[in-house]
Amino acid sequence: MNNLLLAVVMGLYFWFANLRFGYTFSGMLKQPVCVALVVGLITGQMAEAMTIGAGIQLMFLGVTSTPGGNVPNDPALAATIAIPIAVTIHMNATAAVALAVPFGILGVFLDQLRRTINAVWVHMADKDAEKLNYRGIYLAAFVYPAIMGLIIRFPVVFAANFFGRGAVQALITAIPQWLMHGFEVMGTLLPALGFALTISVIGKKKLLPYFFIGFIAVAYFKAEIMAVAVIGICIAYLVRKNANREEA
Amino acid sequence: MDSAKKITKKLSKKDVNKSFWIYQLGCEESNSYERLQSLIYCASMIPAIKKLYGDSKEAQKEALKRHLTFFNTEGTIGASIQGITLAMEEEKANGADISDAAITSIKTGLMGPLAGIGDSVIWSALMPIVISIFIPMAKNGNALGGLLPLLIYTLLTLYISYVLIHRSYSVGRSAIIDLLQNGMIKEVIYGANVLGMMMMGALSANYVTITTPLKIHVTGGSTIILQTILDSMFKGILPLTAVLVIYWYMQKKGPRYSVIIGTIIAVSLIGSFFGIL
Repeated sequence: MNNLLLAVVMGLYFWFANLRFGYTFSGMLKQPVCVALVVGLITGQMAEAMTIGAGIQLMFLGVTSTPGGNVPNDPALAATIAIPIAVTIHMNATAAVALAVPFGILGVFLDQLRRTINAVWVHMADKDAEKLNYRGIYLAAFVYPAIMGLIIRFPVVFAANFFGRGAVQALITAIPQWLMHGFEVMGTLLPALGFALTISVIGKKKLLPYFFIGFIAVAYFKAEIMAVAVIGICIAYLVRKNANREEA
Repeated sequence: MDSAKKITKKLSKKDVNKSFWIYQLGCEESNSYERLQSLIYCASMIPAIKKLYGDSKEAQKEALKRHLTFFNTEGTIGASIQGITLAMEEEKANGADISDAAITSIKTGLMGPLAGIGDSVIWSALMPIVISIFIPMAKNGNALGGLLPLLIYTLLTLYISYVLIHRSYSVGRSAIIDLLQNGMIKEVIYGANVLGMMMMGALSANYVTITTPLKIHVTGGSTIILQTILDSMFKGILPLTAVLVIYWYMQKKGPRYSVIIGTIIAVSLIGSFFGIL
């Protein structure tokens, strides 16, 4: 019964987060740490859910939409499937990261489908404008995309959660030790992709020394993240004038 | 004649707020490949259009169509375009000689540069930084690691766009052009990027935990543990190499996600099979 509830809530969550209702709000709802919060509330295993969510989050850290709004990978689909499954079968947090990979890529196709279908509403709005039907334009902007989104998004996540758990469990008991360890290695490497992507989207090669300062602060001086953040803000303040010396 | 012209139609703060909320709530929801944010932009102009052109059905229709043309930008910083458009519509409704083309060209002229600023500050720097700060909390199983980023990021970005729409509505076109050329915005972007880079360095050292279990048995009974040697060379050399190699590849070939993930999968499985990783 709990499995059914979890599958329904995850399906609805995925629908709502990817509806993008609330621009930056939904942008953050799509993130694995926020999905983990909801999984924790439903399963009652908050600590486990957050730890797994944090691991998956790191891989998706730099995944923001590129100009034009195309996403290279969908953290929301990956998280709403991988986190609940990993939590309920008590999967190792590192291996759970590997479980998230295929769904993140699948999510891209769902988003393309949505934005293709959305073209229908703008044509309806063209006609509403002609008739001065204000209500119609609001409906086209808010309600129709929501209904369509429910149809194309809910079933995917619901089914993956409802039927996927058993399959993943069976798979984990069946595979050899080296393969399971391979998944864990993957989990230790995939966050590197998230960090590299973030450095890449920040896009300033000249700032790489700051990356090394942050790295060494932790690797050698065991600094906590919050300490690095505060030092980082101070350094950012001190060097801000350099902005004017560089190209716009 | 001009002196007789009075500002009779005026948008209130509440009207601007309505526009603000419609766009902030829905600017990605109806996004389509055909005209991207045009639909929501038009919807966000409806309260103002009703108020400003209430006496002419023709003028209302024209205004709606004017805002159903192609539009796309980053929503938080892009709120300033709304402010300017509202100010222009207000002038137009009061009889100023502003053509459809003038309004459309201001919109299309600003949407690119502002999207550039918004993408690099709001999404590429601010979002990862806010999440990163609370990652250690989340990793330790604390629910606040998910809740705080959601609250802080949402409120902070809403505050920024709220200030921008009202400021640009009252100061108008010149304001946004000043903003673009202003040194301060450059400094903010630069500072955010510096902080972002340091956070990525710190997180890489913390959470890319790749190590090697490889042991070399030397004749005479002693064994050499490779990881110990690596650590004595440079702590965290494997994680650092992993991040830099992926970064380097992205610089060379672009963010080819599937190739990179495929390589990571292959390296992990092969490494595990042979006991190297």
